[in-house]
Amino acid sequence: MSDFVEQCRAEWKRLGVPDAIAEEMASDLGSDIRDAESDGISVEELLGSSASDPRAFAASWANERGVVQTRRGHASGRRGRVPLVAFIGVAAITLIVAALLLATGEPKVALVTRGVALPHPPGSTASFVPPPSRVQASAAAPIEWILLFLSLVALAFSGWLWRWRSRRAHPPIAPAQ
Amino acid sequence: MRAIECLALQGLRAIMWCMAMESRRSQMLRGVLDLCLLAVLDEGPAYGYEMTKRLRDRGLASVGEGSIYPLLGRLEREGLVQTYRAASNGGPPRKYYQPSSVGRIALALGVSEWRAVRDAIDAVLAPVKIEVSHE
Repeated sequence: MSDFVEQCRAEWKRLGVPDAIAEEMASDLGSDIRDAESDGISVEELLGSSASDPRAFAASWANERGVVQTRRGHASGRRGRVPLVAFIGVAAITLIVAALLLATGEPKVALVTRGVALPHPPGSTASFVPPPSRVQASAAAPIEWILLFLSLVALAFSGWLWRWRSRRAHPPIAPAQ
Repeated sequence: MRAIECLALQGLRAIMWCMAMESRRSQMLRGVLDLCLLAVLDEGPAYGYEMTKRLRDRGLASVGEGSIYPLLGRLEREGLVQTYRAASNGGPPRKYYQPSSVGRIALALGVSEWRAVRDAIDAVLAPVKIEVSHE
């Protein structure tokens, strides 16, 4: 096997090209170089300007085939997942809290609290007593149910987004026939 | 001394002009190399080296496998070519390429587009009477 092919193979390994695909590409390239040499054509003539830069050639080939898994891709993928993981965490915590509140039968938390208007003598202005520091219980529009629903929707959306990102980062590789 | 400087300058300009011409040829070829590959594959399935030979036979000797393999990779990824492995003449199994049905449509559209562009460029350049001898 020529030195050129070996350098290509090393580059494919560095780029994370799956072994089977790298082996197939190396085999085809090696066979072509042997055929060309038997026809009196040098590697330089066969490959053109790429002969002087096997790594660039190997990277270009693998990249165009869509079989490269670069470190940059992994790093950007990791960076992009951090906010998503944080979002999933917040949604999960919200879900747990809402479920616990519902399960333990704690007083329902109302979305709208009302103050109490005290009765007033004729001729005087009405006085308003603000609601107590503790939020009043109310059966209307319990926020636990809303939080539970929103957190479930958020988790479902996050799951879909995670799968979509994974499929985009690792497209299926067409098997060689 | 001044004459030598002038000659050196002219020589440098000639070299730069030749490099620019080479670059232009390369750029023009790059735009249609995928069509050329699909065209030679339309004659019959071929592996990498066979394609190089077919292109050489038609005067495209400057196209090396360094350009062909990455392009084949893209055509394969885009579904314009299909591949299969088969034994070559007494050699190891080779990866053969042939245009897919989508590839044939892309070839037909591309050739039509190429002819339209070529005719338009010819119409612009036809009045030019200056020619360069390649001897």
